[in-house]
Amino acid sequence: MLKAANPDRPDLLTWAFLGLGLLLLPAGLYVALAAPPDVNQGYLVRIMYLHVPTAWLGYLAFFVTFLYSVLYLFRQDPRHDRMALASAEIGLVFMGLALVTGMLWARPTWGVYWTWEPRLTTTAILFAVYVGYFLLRGAIEDPELRAKAAAAVGILGFLNVPISYMSVKWWRSLHQTQSIDLTTGRIEMEPAMLQALLFNLLVFTLLYVGFVRFRGFLAAWEARKEEA
Amino acid sequence: MRPSLRAAQAPGKGVALTGLRRVLVLALRDLRLEVRDRAGLLSVLAFFTVMLFIMALALGPEEGPLRRAAPGVLWVALAFASTLLSTRAFALEVEDATLDDLLLTPGSKEWIYLGKLLFQMLLLLPLGLLALFMAGGLFYLPLERGLPLGLTLALGMLGYASVATFYAGLLARLRGREVLLPLLLFSLVVPVVLAAVRATTGLVEGLPLEEVASWWQLLLVFDVVYLTASALLFPVVMEG
Repeated sequence: MLKAANPDRPDLLTWAFLGLGLLLLPAGLYVALAAPPDVNQGYLVRIMYLHVPTAWLGYLAFFVTFLYSVLYLFRQDPRHDRMALASAEIGLVFMGLALVTGMLWARPTWGVYWTWEPRLTTTAILFAVYVGYFLLRGAIEDPELRAKAAAAVGILGFLNVPISYMSVKWWRSLHQTQSIDLTTGRIEMEPAMLQALLFNLLVFTLLYVGFVRFRGFLAAWEARKEEA
Repeated sequence: MRPSLRAAQAPGKGVALTGLRRVLVLALRDLRLEVRDRAGLLSVLAFFTVMLFIMALALGPEEGPLRRAAPGVLWVALAFASTLLSTRAFALEVEDATLDDLLLTPGSKEWIYLGKLLFQMLLLLPLGLLALFMAGGLFYLPLERGLPLGLTLALGMLGYASVATFYAGLLARLRGREVLLPLLLFSLVVPVVLAAVRATTGLVEGLPLEEVASWWQLLLVFDVVYLTASALLFPVVMEG
């Protein structure tokens, strides 16, 4: 994503993504608040406009980490390692936000902040995997070994996503759960709500790209200072 | 003295070991060292036994709660015990500074991973069987369906060991590996433990085999994916 090996400052594209994302954020907020209330959940449904984009970004960010980890192992280019790190960090933040917004929604809907439902549990585990990613990074001094080990965790950790997803499916075939199926709920969504959600998804994705590029620049800067 | 890999080669032939033979020789050498040393194996066994006793004591004397908790306790105890064992896969290589020799052997490096994995499985399977019998005795776990339970054990242990061996190799040269390994490992193998516990519970509760089979499927998918990924990543990560 970053062309120069040692950029002096974030490039124009980074600023463009960040600026556009930040500019459109109030618009996304407005659309979310103006969207019609849900038949069953009322105004509570508006947490969804924040919850779904953050969760989506968490997954996207971990996928990008996975891609850059594979690239690093094949090319051994420190830039790829920095981008994997940047994406994992932002993914962890957004995943945490998704967990928090999910809990805020669960309290009035289910009556509890947390329940050991498959999707919640697997998401929490995913969060823990990437906390481990940073613990590992912190434990290794040698930059090359650190990058390699982190890449391995970035790849293996991401494999947990589809497996966890399948475990949810299999669990459901055996046990009835009280969870609300988001995939079918999205199809049945009213056009106005769907548009609001898609708009927020777009805004958050723009922000993510901006953040990752900016964090990648910071990581490059840090690496240069470490060497000097 | 540690028997070297070359000593295991047939004398006078001078032929390089083929991949499969290398895996076998490495696993058997490690197994021989582990059994000869005894201290490590015995401490894992002792830890495991004490853990089962404390859990049985904590969960109370009534048969019902004990039986209900048995699959969960069994797999968590196995996960802990095998974490202790997984550090042993590479600990001796680092102690005796033979890891580099191993890595310098010509040819691809996958066989080192597979050999270490086989070594882990050779240790874990008897341990798992023993654990099953102990859970049967201490937690009133019914063992009538021995073969399906054995299959669950083998699939679950393989899934666990495939990741554990990989991480043990990755972290072998690090100082804080004893703490880091369980931290990284447990979050990653939760699907395995989950599926194994569910399958065991299903078997104990007398569910038909078709229903348990979906958990075996999940375990198998996990095993194949992690084994392949680890075997592919291992040479890349260990070199240099």
